[in-house]
Amino acid sequence: MHLHYIDYAVIALYFLFVVGVGFLLKKKIKTGNDFLMSNRSIPLWITSLAFISANLGAQEVLGMAASGSKYGFYTAHYYWLGAVIAMVFLGVFMMPFYYGSKARSVPEYLKLRFDEKTRTFNALSFAVMTVFSSGISLYALAMLMQAILGWDFSFSIWMAAGIVLIYTFLGGLTSAVYNEVLQFFLIVLGIAPLVFIGLHKAGGWEGIVHNVDNIKLHLWKGMDHASNNPMGVDALSLVFGLGFVLAFGYWCTDFLVVQRAMISHNQNAAQRTPIIAAFPKIFMPLIVILPGIIILALQKQFTGFELPTNAEGAVDYNMTLPVMLSKLYPSGILGVGITALIASFMSGMAGNVTAFNTVWTFDIYQSHINRNASEKHYYYVGKVTTVAGILISIATAYFTRRFNNIMDLLQLVFSFVNAPLFATFFLGMFWKRTTGHAAFWGLLSGTGAAALTHGLTVAEGKGGWITNLHTFYSGTSQAFNIAWIAFTVCFIMTALISLFTRPKPNEQLVGLVYSLTPRQKDKSKAWYKNPFWLGIIVLLITLIFNIIFY
Amino acid sequence: MNKLFDLRFVIGCFFLIVGILLLLYGFFSSATDQSVNRWCGGIFTLFGLIMLLLSYRRNTNDPGPH
Repeated sequence: MHLHYIDYAVIALYFLFVVGVGFLLKKKIKTGNDFLMSNRSIPLWITSLAFISANLGAQEVLGMAASGSKYGFYTAHYYWLGAVIAMVFLGVFMMPFYYGSKARSVPEYLKLRFDEKTRTFNALSFAVMTVFSSGISLYALAMLMQAILGWDFSFSIWMAAGIVLIYTFLGGLTSAVYNEVLQFFLIVLGIAPLVFIGLHKAGGWEGIVHNVDNIKLHLWKGMDHASNNPMGVDALSLVFGLGFVLAFGYWCTDFLVVQRAMISHNQNAAQRTPIIAAFPKIFMPLIVILPGIIILALQKQFTGFELPTNAEGAVDYNMTLPVMLSKLYPSGILGVGITALIASFMSGMAGNVTAFNTVWTFDIYQSHINRNASEKHYYYVGKVTTVAGILISIATAYFTRRFNNIMDLLQLVFSFVNAPLFATFFLGMFWKRTTGHAAFWGLLSGTGAAALTHGLTVAEGKGGWITNLHTFYSGTSQAFNIAWIAFTVCFIMTALISLFTRPKPNEQLVGLVYSLTPRQKDKSKAWYKNPFWLGIIVLLITLIFNIIFY
Repeated sequence: MNKLFDLRFVIGCFFLIVGILLLLYGFFSSATDQSVNRWCGGIFTLFGLIMLLLSYRRNTNDPGPH
């Protein structure tokens, strides 16, 4: 792929704007609260777009196109089953506790609801996970730029990290959030033309239907058994593993996304943030999954759309979007498309770094190292943490290049830690009897159960490091099953231990537990300001899409 | 100066400039088949103008100059 001066001009302009946003916001950021929490003053439309944009990283843009090509429309389950419902639940039921408790982070909510050790366990695992994820995002960007544009690996690393450092260092969370919104529009407007051009070339929807395997154009068909659909999962593990445990675990408890709602200017806006974000989220498959299906139709009709193979000789589905860009975009709009890809990587990296900042400063540094320092002091700690986070990300990127398998292992361990988390929150918010000791040991046992299940099962040659008791049809199926097993173990252990340990007195749980929190009556009668009715509309639209693409 | 803090203004400026760049390239480049750049340039320009227009409309729900 060769870029012309016009393409480089678009990339340079984008870099200029993201750095410019950081410089503009620098004057407004004066305290630790401004830097790490945006002083809880960001308007609804920005928090909503930042909410989905924080998740619109490279994994979403490149990975979903790749999954679209590999699994077809079944990939849309990650949106219509694995995101939208959880986003509505977060807005309607969980956000009042996060926002109303005045917690500055998800781990801090755990401190208020349970105890310090549960918070520290969550904060440490989250901090390590975000900073490594940021590094992996950087590594993936550098590898992609090397493969499609021939850019030097180190040049891509230092360029992207340097730009993210400048704007997050200067403007903190506000700068990251503002740039996430810019990146959202860039990704949508930069990739949407690809869908139109691709569809047109493939012969419209009829061309897709005639040239793509019918089984790849459905959501639920063949879900009666894992062997009957390309994803290799059955309906039960899909609904419970993805739709409930993984979706709710990510969208309702991952501070990276929840933080975007917590910086809203009032509770109603905080509640509406994930629900309003769910509207564009419903339509995102058209932008990120459809290119993967279109390329299948183009492969049947034209030459040149074949995907390259990776080092193991298997088809490299991650190249779906780059191949589409190079074949369908002329210079000019190609620069916009490449910039959109770079933006998705930088968005993912900045989101991780800013969430890492907040958790490190409030939940680890302030909680364990320096409890009573001034606001100014935490402001500087936040800034130093930004630099440290970026440097660790860079080191991680180089480390990943040398020891790719170690990073796979780390990501696997993180998935074990995340899998049971929603059980802890669910019981903590809706059962006042849940205790701190139970939450902590429940989390540990759920994590252990996830690791044990992985060690006893095999999928696509992975897992089974203890022995092989069961073979799954796909790695996806294995992940979904590990998730629901970890959730169930954590849920049962937390409930059981709670019965034998002393709960917090009721007066300490007001605002933290559903049954002890007075219901806020929404003074506004307008349906569009009411999280409940907005949620119902979102769910109805999602249901209609599920029926259409059955 | 306050206008510069308005995100709609920033986004509007970005897409307006990118749109104009694509339009100019689409009309004056010697390369063949520039209709995609002309179409996208037009849409980006329009989107940029709408965002700029919105940034001038005072939104009473917004607490600050965002």
